[in-house]
Amino acid sequence: MTAAAIRTWDLCRSYGTYQALTKLSLEVPRGEVFGLLGHNGAGKTTTVNLLTTLLEPTSGRAEIGGRNTVNDAASVRRSIGYLPENVQFYDSLTLMENLRFFGRLSGIRKPDARIADVLRFLDFTGHENQRLGTFSKGMRQRVGIAQAILHDPSVLFLDEPTSGLDPEGVRILRETIVRLNQEYGMTVFMNTHLLTEVTKTCTSIGILNHGHLVHHDTLVNTLASFPEEESLEAIYFQLDPAVAP
Amino acid sequence: MIDLITVAGKELLDLRRDRLFALLISFLTAVTLISVTVGAADFRNQLDAYNLYVANLTTSGSGVVPAAPHLFPLQLLRSGIEYLEILGALFAIVLGYGAIAKEKHRGMLQLFLTRPVNRFAFALGKVAGLSMIWWVVVVLLMGVSTISVVTIGGGAVTGTDLGRLGFVTVFIWMYLVFWSAVAVALTSLSASHSTALIVALVIWLGFVLVIPQIGDTMDPDNQVPGGLFAALNIQKPDEMAVLAHFSKFDSIRNVLEVSSVTKHFERLSFALLGIKDQYNQQPIPVVLTAMLPYAITLTAATVVAVVFAGAASTRRTLQRKQS
Repeated sequence: MTAAAIRTWDLCRSYGTYQALTKLSLEVPRGEVFGLLGHNGAGKTTTVNLLTTLLEPTSGRAEIGGRNTVNDAASVRRSIGYLPENVQFYDSLTLMENLRFFGRLSGIRKPDARIADVLRFLDFTGHENQRLGTFSKGMRQRVGIAQAILHDPSVLFLDEPTSGLDPEGVRILRETIVRLNQEYGMTVFMNTHLLTEVTKTCTSIGILNHGHLVHHDTLVNTLASFPEEESLEAIYFQLDPAVAP
Repeated sequence: MIDLITVAGKELLDLRRDRLFALLISFLTAVTLISVTVGAADFRNQLDAYNLYVANLTTSGSGVVPAAPHLFPLQLLRSGIEYLEILGALFAIVLGYGAIAKEKHRGMLQLFLTRPVNRFAFALGKVAGLSMIWWVVVVLLMGVSTISVVTIGGGAVTGTDLGRLGFVTVFIWMYLVFWSAVAVALTSLSASHSTALIVALVIWLGFVLVIPQIGDTMDPDNQVPGGLFAALNIQKPDEMAVLAHFSKFDSIRNVLEVSSVTKHFERLSFALLGIKDQYNQQPIPVVLTAMLPYAITLTAATVVAVVFAGAASTRRTLQRKQS
């Protein structure tokens, strides 16, 4: 039996007396583009932090590709790529220098050839010797994607990847995510607020409400379950009353 | 090890292009060189005055050759050492703090922690990068200072003198690495950047300025220019006899001074450079033997600070501070 790309069992995380995530049980099959939705403070970033080994759960467990995120964290780190929200990278370093740094940290001894491949894939060549301080937000986000996929991870985590991007930047990023999923078979797990992006990119969704998973299904099933609703937005407001207007 | 080298290499690259770093190092270089240059010029004047005096005596037919003044070129580095002691430590703290705070501010720490890297690679890589930078800076500073002493001061620097300078260079480097490592550790441990910087500056203030200042104030030799006993024309044996009555006072002063790593560094450097009269022109092994306790404590303090930085910046600690 092939292990799911991501699986959690009663995953909980609290900060002092505040319960950020409560008994999250979730399974994301390989090859999915999973969108985790929820209002601010719903527990989305906590979930990503737990799955990327940045945090340890208070109770419960999680596995990435069948590897435990606590007991086998090093192995999990080798199999994931991560783009945090609002990461700034090193402005004084060139694109190549930034990517070499992350390539080596990801265990690639001689990363230049792989960097060239990734930049070609992202249609991002010609900027190799440019310092990141001169890059736009959209370009930086592509640098973020590039560093996250350099070591060819099986699961890619994106935390609010379209945050602060202009429509063109959003379109490029959306296409990149779809291509990564379709051409490389990469499983993508992303937190987002943008429901239109979820509709265009994700194959399955989950909705968190105050740390509880209130909905988890494929996008097709979700839309089919609410035939009376016109859009995912309307469905979202039904499923997550905390954000209903 | 590869992770550590990767982090250290990135740190070097980043610092090389950092304007604040360039500004701090330029300032430190400028004040050190100015102090050495002024001292060297004064040295030159004294040397010229003596040579002129001897020439005049010779011209007037006198066969008397007056004793040469006691001019030792390495002593000219005193102000430079004092600047490094105070400003160098301050700048080492700023760079150590910046190395960690910038990563946290950029959000890079999260990214770093999701990579399969050695648990100590982050902090020790940072400290290694800073150590390399400090080594280059200190070697350049000492090199240029020595050239200034020779060219401007006209003082002759012997092979033994170069040996002394070599040891002093190593001790300056260790002293600066100590402060950078302390700042790296404190910034890693603290959830708030400003708190870490304030704590580091308070430690700097206490150990670099306040304690040595109290010790200096309690030293009878610092009460009047040239020294109290010299001003009163009291000879060394009599001075020792007088001081014997104040042994408790002197012990307290000594305990206070040795509680500061800065004083250890200063005593080591001053002894090697012959700034302390009792060690002037003594062979290097004699000076090093006498100063061994200070050399050991400075080395130990540096090692402890680096270990502290490593222990304070493990994945687990950094994760805790991130969450």
